[in-house]
Amino acid sequence: MSSLFNLPEIKNPPVVIRASDVSKRFVIRKDKSLKERIVNFGRSRRHKEDFWALRDIKLEIKAGSSIGLVGANGSGKSTLLKVIGGIIQPNDGVVERRGRLAALLELGAGFHPDLTGRENVFLNGSILGLTQKQTAEYFDSIVEFSEIGDFIDTQVKFYSSGMYVRLAFAIAVHVDPDILLVDEVLSVGDEPFQDKCMAKIREFQAEGRTIVFVSHSAAQVEDLCNRVIVLSHGQIIFDGATDEGIVALRESFGK
Amino acid sequence: MSSTAQERSDRLSTLPFQTSSSSDESAIGGFWASIRELLAHRELLDLLIRRELKARYKDSSLGFLWSLIKPLTLLLIYYVAIGQFLGAARGIPDFAIFVFAGLTIWGLYSEIVSAGTMSIVSNAGLIKKVYLPREIFPLAATGSALFNFAVQMSVLILATIVLGQFPVSWNLLYVPVAIAIVLIYGIAFAILLSALNVYLRDIQYLVEVAMLLLFWASPIVYAWSYVVNAVDVPSWLPNVFLLNPISNAVLAFQKGMWQAGSETRLIDGVSILPQPWPADLDLRLAIVAVVGLVLLIICQRVFQKLQGNFAQEI
Ligand SMILES: Nc1ncnc2c1ncn2[C@@H]1O[C@H](COP(=O)(O)OP(=O)(O)OP(=O)(O)O)[C@@H](O)[C@H]1O
Ligand SMILES: [Mg+2]
Repeated sequence: MSSLFNLPEIKNPPVVIRASDVSKRFVIRKDKSLKERIVNFGRSRRHKEDFWALRDIKLEIKAGSSIGLVGANGSGKSTLLKVIGGIIQPNDGVVERRGRLAALLELGAGFHPDLTGRENVFLNGSILGLTQKQTAEYFDSIVEFSEIGDFIDTQVKFYSSGMYVRLAFAIAVHVDPDILLVDEVLSVGDEPFQDKCMAKIREFQAEGRTIVFVSHSAAQVEDLCNRVIVLSHGQIIFDGATDEGIVALRESFGK
Repeated sequence: MSSTAQERSDRLSTLPFQTSSSSDESAIGGFWASIRELLAHRELLDLLIRRELKARYKDSSLGFLWSLIKPLTLLLIYYVAIGQFLGAARGIPDFAIFVFAGLTIWGLYSEIVSAGTMSIVSNAGLIKKVYLPREIFPLAATGSALFNFAVQMSVLILATIVLGQFPVSWNLLYVPVAIAIVLIYGIAFAILLSALNVYLRDIQYLVEVAMLLLFWASPIVYAWSYVVNAVDVPSWLPNVFLLNPISNAVLAFQKGMWQAGSETRLIDGVSILPQPWPADLDLRLAIVAVVGLVLLIICQRVFQKLQGNFAQEI
């Protein structure tokens, strides 16, 4: 299979992500202010709603693999990535990992609109775990990758949304993660830039990085991944080869 | 085939597993683990402080001068209204220095607490998408408050020098002690309230009101002697007054920076005795500091318990 994708042959790849019986329940409270709490005191049950966004997720991911995480809207994909990334805590179970992890859940999450591109590169680099020295080292290469040119010294609130994403992605790919979690961020940017991002992802694969990739594009998943996990209502309903996974995904939509 | 991939894989197999997330709260580290994690992120803390300061005055032409204009305006108001019209300046020598010293140390405390309370909610975008030790946000608010404090402090020192009132005395040692106490309590309340504010947005408005009350409950625009000498006030009142840790810090700061408070001065022919500083101020400060440190640890533990749900509650 490694010839089909850009995936390198790795002997005895270790497990890098391990989720054991992970469940996540969300409680939605409808009263955020003190007044509402007091008014609704005692009847608080009615003002709470809870449901399971993830249920008994068991998962092992080996180094160097590329996983496509797919499912209908609201099936729990982003929630699973957040649990893997340690951004939210599950109600049951544990997620363990090893190696450096970078989560691209939203590009430019740390951008401050009033700061210039340059200032934001340093800030965002630091948020993603680079030292100032490393960011300074990669700075030219980041600007070059983003193709943003002289706008680097303009406040990012004046950027077009494409420029914003370009700069953010350029920073993210310089972070050197062992595990990369990507949540639907590659669909932005114009076509040449998308191609460039895809090429970068392929390069990451060739370097043996592990990628968990959420996408609604079956073509992209087929193109990049050697394993597909299908989520439906917070449960894994399929885990296996790509083409069968796509079929399972289509079937899951009706449910 | 590709050796970088094999090398990476071999390196990863030697690493131990670490917990990404867990339902078991004890798996999350204790107080010292949090401190260690924060230390590892000190560069980011520095950048966040800079971001806060830069972004605040980015498009204004006077820039950071604004952080001075507000306290100076307050000084003017209190100087004219309370000092001259109400006549407090007749009983308080070097009234301007006295008021500005109080405003400066109080400003530090109130900015840490109010900006700190907002800090988690106003960084929602980051908290929902990236894992960071979340204490970093109230601490960044503290850092930018410290910067504003440093600016005001320089003005205060400059003013004492220009007026020939720079306090050359051992009392100066009270200044760092006062700052330390304000930092301990400020940070403790900032991290506690920032976490509570995620669940109950009323906290931020409550804080505003509480700060207003506390301002007038601390000897900032009136001197300690007024509290002690007030007629018709039960004798226990000054003691209750001193239960407030920030009052102690304000008094210590004034004792350090306001030379006239420790001397006998003549105003319009009337001699004003030195301030009746609380007799056991040193002991009080020591107790206040120790209690504050315990409080800080408790607040951090509460924060740690609550922070697991920040990303989904904001
Ligand atoms: N913070 C939250 N509080 C309450 N419910 C939430 C929260 N975050 C997500 N949910 C709910 O959990 C479910 C799963 O959401 P999630 O974002 O993981 O879906 P998804 O698979 O990523 O969907 P999409 O394809 O639309 O991105 C949804 O029903 C959503 O409403
Ligand atoms: Mg999603």
